[in-house]
Amino acid sequence: MLLVLSDEHKEHLGFLPEVDSAVVGEFGRIAVEFLRKGTNPKIYEGAARKLSVDAETVQHGVEGIMYLLTESSKLMISEVDFQDSVLVLGFTEELNQLLLQLYLDHRKEIRHILSELTPSLPHYHNLEWRLDVLLASRALRQQMKPTVSMKLHLGESGGEKSVKVLQTDPATLMHLIQELEKALAELKTTHCRRILRNIK
Amino acid sequence: MELSESVQKGLQSLADATFFDLKTFSVLIEVAFRSLLSAHADPSVLDQPEFKRLDQKLLKHCHTAVTTCILEGVKQNADKSSISACLEDVSFDAERTEVFYTTYQKYKSDLETLLSSLGRCPPHVNDVSWRLEYCIKNGHVHKVNEPSYLISLNVENANNGGSSEDVHFSCTMEQLQDLVGKMKDAAKSLEKATQL
Repeated sequence: MLLVLSDEHKEHLGFLPEVDSAVVGEFGRIAVEFLRKGTNPKIYEGAARKLSVDAETVQHGVEGIMYLLTESSKLMISEVDFQDSVLVLGFTEELNQLLLQLYLDHRKEIRHILSELTPSLPHYHNLEWRLDVLLASRALRQQMKPTVSMKLHLGESGGEKSVKVLQTDPATLMHLIQELEKALAELKTTHCRRILRNIK
Repeated sequence: MELSESVQKGLQSLADATFFDLKTFSVLIEVAFRSLLSAHADPSVLDQPEFKRLDQKLLKHCHTAVTTCILEGVKQNADKSSISACLEDVSFDAERTEVFYTTYQKYKSDLETLLSSLGRCPPHVNDVSWRLEYCIKNGHVHKVNEPSYLISLNVENANNGGSSEDVHFSCTMEQLQDLVGKMKDAAKSLEKATQL
């Protein structure tokens, strides 16, 4: 599957052949760093001064690389498709290889960063449990009620953690285990295996 | 069993044959126990034909006294000797004590169940539902191709009158295995503890 680059995008990337491949390499490194941590406009100004060009041109160049990387990673395009897509820009073979290497080295990481943007529910992190026996309460003395207390640790994709304190009784615990084991067994059925095998 | 003065006075009136003959006494005892177990507070609980001729204020006082005494007894898991001693203190004769104690035994375990359900506790998990999904793509990443589980714990919070606040979360197969593994550890410990 080929990437279709807009004219504006091609224009922004058009700045890259005009500088050293070392500089392009540096831009690539900055682009990945920005994808990880967010942009920092001061870097554009520093680079612009060193190269004697507009800060805006540098910004477009870096952003162009960022967009190229995110789109390719999102679609998970193959090496060949990436090379063909970049061919249309008319860069030198060296530059193409540089960009390809940048893509291959970082695509897994970029996909991971992108997946943090997707809407999602809290994920399971951990479960702590404790067995208690209720001996008495304000309303009734001399009890012997076994309970299982649980602390469920959940995390959001943004990194925020939440903790839920829950309680259950032994019979319900066995029921929960049974139900969840059924859920796990489901993945091993032929139906699921067939889907997992064929949709790749 | 410690009872307040007001409750003791009510019980003393109940013991008095000039106010309550044995039949009326027995009906009141039965009504008192049943009123504690009924799900809704019924304003007509004391509208029995046997009570028509009684002073209503006295009737209410005695009803309150006897229900308080019942609850206190169930709460403390009082045995026959404590109850007999307590009722003797308020001048119950042997017959009335017997009527009380027989009815007490009849309803005791239901009342215990009722009392044990009172009180605060962390949200209680009742049930679990699950869903297995295979994510193909989303707006930000294509070709995800990963199965994931969506688990919902059905949780009842006794404090809010039994309202459910379900806990939802997603997990991978490995995480679900971890969760089930930990629950099984808890179950194993439970089993060991019951054998001690």
